[in-house]
Amino acid sequence: MISKILVANRGEIALRIIRTAREMGIKTVAVYSEADRNSLHTMFAHESVCIGPAKTSESYLNIPNIISAAQITKADAIHPGYGFLAENPRFPEICDSEDITFIGPSASLINLLGDKNAARLGMKKAKLPVIPGSNDVIVELSEAKSIAKKIGYPVILKAASGGGGRGMRIVRSPNQMDEQLSIAQYEAKAAFGDPSLYMEKYIENARHIEIQIIGDTQGYVIALGERECSIQRKHQKVLEETPSPFIDEKFRKRIIKAAQDAADSIGYQSLGTFEFLVDNEKRFYFMEANTRVQVEHPITEMVYGVDLIKEQIKIASGERLSFPHDLQMSGHSIECRINAEDPDTFIPSAGKIEFLVLPGGQGIRVDSAAYHGWTIPPDYDSLLAKVVARAPTRKEAIQKMQTALEMTTIVGIKTNIPLHLNILSNPDFKKGNYTIQFLENFLSKKIVKSKT
Amino acid sequence: MKAKIDYKEIIKIIDLLEERNLSEFELEIEDLKIKISRAPQKTNSQEIAPAVPLASIAANSEAPAQTEPADDEEGLHFITSPMVGTFYRSPNPSTPSFVEKGEMVAKNQTLCIIEAMKLMNEIEAEVEGILEEIYIKNGKPVEYGQKLFAIKPQN
Repeated sequence: MISKILVANRGEIALRIIRTAREMGIKTVAVYSEADRNSLHTMFAHESVCIGPAKTSESYLNIPNIISAAQITKADAIHPGYGFLAENPRFPEICDSEDITFIGPSASLINLLGDKNAARLGMKKAKLPVIPGSNDVIVELSEAKSIAKKIGYPVILKAASGGGGRGMRIVRSPNQMDEQLSIAQYEAKAAFGDPSLYMEKYIENARHIEIQIIGDTQGYVIALGERECSIQRKHQKVLEETPSPFIDEKFRKRIIKAAQDAADSIGYQSLGTFEFLVDNEKRFYFMEANTRVQVEHPITEMVYGVDLIKEQIKIASGERLSFPHDLQMSGHSIECRINAEDPDTFIPSAGKIEFLVLPGGQGIRVDSAAYHGWTIPPDYDSLLAKVVARAPTRKEAIQKMQTALEMTTIVGIKTNIPLHLNILSNPDFKKGNYTIQFLENFLSKKIVKSKT
Repeated sequence: MKAKIDYKEIIKIIDLLEERNLSEFELEIEDLKIKISRAPQKTNSQEIAPAVPLASIAANSEAPAQTEPADDEEGLHFITSPMVGTFYRSPNPSTPSFVEKGEMVAKNQTLCIIEAMKLMNEIEAEVEGILEEIYIKNGKPVEYGQKLFAIKPQN
């Protein structure tokens, strides 16, 4: 049984985890950097410990300080949230050796799925369809060119240790390969400390659809219905919804079963997500697996009526997964990621929130660590709030989200709410007619329009 | 030919820095750039940081930040905790404290131990002077940046 959880994260996800732990009667410990002294997660946890300066490598990524913080507060478990240490296999290993329960998958599962190319090959073995591409890491230009020739242009270069959309480059013809390969290697090295790249065929007009996996320590694994994440900018998700307007019941059953079987074959335990690309002919290809809670997990919780974090905590303390095998979704849910950034230039907008009204009402959920008077530190990502709507139908969910965002008032900093309102009123979006190119095309049209 | 450097060589450079008491070292060969900085008066906190990737010392970014021990208007010099852990005033329960209030302390004299992840880290005085204040009780937890001691420097 877990009695006290240290949350090794900040912002909305730290608060999200603290909320559920409190509901379960579990004590909580917040850790924070000097830049986050006045952050909300430090105020709602039972205890809080400063673990270092603003720089993440010395605070939120500082394993010795985080472990020590758990020891001095006698926390018996650590929840990593997403990002930071969530997918670092060393972290659960060290937790283990210090007799602290890591709320997440084992180090071996993180290792298995963490190397994106190895995961791809492993899933191919587990009979999941994968996108045609390189079998090994690409080093030389000649290699890259010969593989690209074999699978056909356009191709995409991806960082083997990647994630979050960094270190990805699309190459449309052989003469672009030299330049794009070196940029991608440089980006991969800078972002992940590892320049290793692999190559996949780039699928045009595809959808990014992901399946939620959850498994307990006794080998019971289930998969939940899809999250449609195609509305992206530079491989960063902006708006997600479930169910996907592109998917019918037959296809849903097929993709859920494929993901569930693959997760089962590797004995997946805790929360995880399998990301797929789905092409025009409804063929799906495994892209990567994330061994942590996703930012967009609330939309799944809204349509399934479950608390994924609660289940994850219970699983970590050895309990059986309480979801039935045939858990059904009902209604429609949309999440808008409200970022502190300029809606036109996307430049992050740190600063003081002079006035704040967050939306509410039936069917609206807001996950946010923002508060009136808070100064957003410039040191971290710009996610300010996740506004989530749920309604019986997609049309009603869109209307609910529009109303919620129109009534959201944030003074002092810029946010991307105007961008979300534009997306929500776009005729193609309303029809559910969009692919991963949607936002790029939408933004380039907008620029043309504003110039004329 | 590509410039190559391995882990052992980096360790050698770090040792050299300590030996010669240098605070910064920069090496640039073709596409390889290494910058290593050390705080001269910092404690042996490197020992407890096996999990911190080498990148933090060998990256081509800026020097690692550190707690700036601040001097207040009365001229007191504060020693703050460079890590999270448990504060001990003596090497073990049966021995006397390293220092007592009012005593004269020398530069680099050990003032206390902070236990973090089963490792004992000695915290040293950064300046010479009179120990004016001890803020933490023996055996109590400390967080990063917390004030441990105040020293009145001797001029």
